[in-house]
Amino acid sequence: MGGDTRMGTEYTHPIRNVRYLRPQKEWKEIIAIYLYLAGMGAGSYVIGTLLNWFVHPSRVLSIWGLPFDFAKAAILWGPILVAIGAPFLILDLGIKRRFLYACLNPRTSWVARGFLILSIFIVFGLILLAKSVLPFEWLHAESTFWYIAEVVTIAFAFATALYTGILLKATKSIPLWNTYLLPLLFLVSALSTGSMAIILSTLGTSLLSLDATALKILMGGEQILVVIEGIVLFVYLSRRYKASEQAKDSVRLLLFGEKKLLFWGGIVLLGFIFPVVLESISSLSHGNPVFIFAAGIILLCGGFFLRLGVLSAGIREQIPMQRLMEIKYELRTMKMKEN
Amino acid sequence: MEQKVLVVDQQKCTGCRLCELVCSVHHTGSSNPSRARIKVVKWEHVGIYLPMICNHCEKAYCVEVCPTKACHREADNNNRVVIDKNLCIGCRTCIVACPFGHPFFDVQERVTVKCDFCDGDPKCVTFCDPKAVTYVDADMIQVAKKREAANKFIDSIKQLR
Repeated sequence: MGGDTRMGTEYTHPIRNVRYLRPQKEWKEIIAIYLYLAGMGAGSYVIGTLLNWFVHPSRVLSIWGLPFDFAKAAILWGPILVAIGAPFLILDLGIKRRFLYACLNPRTSWVARGFLILSIFIVFGLILLAKSVLPFEWLHAESTFWYIAEVVTIAFAFATALYTGILLKATKSIPLWNTYLLPLLFLVSALSTGSMAIILSTLGTSLLSLDATALKILMGGEQILVVIEGIVLFVYLSRRYKASEQAKDSVRLLLFGEKKLLFWGGIVLLGFIFPVVLESISSLSHGNPVFIFAAGIILLCGGFFLRLGVLSAGIREQIPMQRLMEIKYELRTMKMKEN
Repeated sequence: MEQKVLVVDQQKCTGCRLCELVCSVHHTGSSNPSRARIKVVKWEHVGIYLPMICNHCEKAYCVEVCPTKACHREADNNNRVVIDKNLCIGCRTCIVACPFGHPFFDVQERVTVKCDFCDGDPKCVTFCDPKAVTYVDADMIQVAKKREAANKFIDSIKQLR
């Protein structure tokens, strides 16, 4: 946009200016919180279950004479986050009391499918969390049933993390979202924020701290995930920039337009640069928990801003009628110049 | 059954927005254009006005994404796409999905609303003086366009003579 200068003000294309950089306004912060908590909860459950399978962390504490395993609570609390996130979707509805209707059309609607995926994950996840933490002997009997339940729940956790991206991808008229890279980006972000949520919860109190090896594996994995997330974000934005005119507008809006503070400050600085720098300082200072804490909180904020940024920069595909308007406007201005 | 559709002739639209007013009166009982099912997009400085209507698309995204089946097609009623107010939860997914930005969120009723052809007698058509919005048989749209093109061709031949 912009070309010649008249009276010191920048000349802007009036029609394009209306259409340009005008993102959707229907889904805002509440949906971003929902996507973020659902993604982070599901990601942390995936990481936590893998940790549980391969490292078997355990820290049994006695309360009222009963032995509760708090290490399990610290790594498997993802479903609680998803359960907190789901009401945000209800909060965004016009008529909240009808929220149960949202599962009536799973044949074609991703909102309905998501409702079912999240519900199943929350129920199964909470049952398994209770099973791992509660001190009842009969719950801990090794059986194929529990193993299958864990596999099913981890599959639904993956589905939940992917769904947060697929929900947006299903909106075909917004080219910024209509790509398979978006579910991938949200999945990687879910895993990185999820692993950081586990690190924070285990560091939260020294009582719950895992053994050093587990924490080291978790930190290493989390750093790799952050790097992968950065690469996926770069590929996503560069591919979208070339995809279509409106996708290009969306990327421009995010990188150089109205949302640039959100992108450079919220996503790049808080989501990638600060956590990496702080974690490096922490590793130099022999795992100083203060730096890890700061890195964790900042990274989690970055994860939220990533969802918010992608949501708030979604510009609709141009309809043929608007293109016609543009051509008409061009013809009119050309005629005016000729006269 | 013959299918009828709303057709917009943008060149005839004067931007008076009477269609918005009568639409809101008919559907809501209040003269509040922000609650209308038709929206006139205006570019005043270049004198271009574009009434935006629902196209009742063959492959309607709003129907596809609706989680409650509130937004559905009535095949036996002019093949129109309508929203059942009693099923709508106001999630606004249809608004995000529609490439024409058509379904509108009614802030008073807290549900999404859209054009339903006023059950066969569209008020926007009845009250549009310049006839910028017409309600015609779907088959006749092409005929009208062809007639218009032929008239332009005749005019240009006349000018050459």
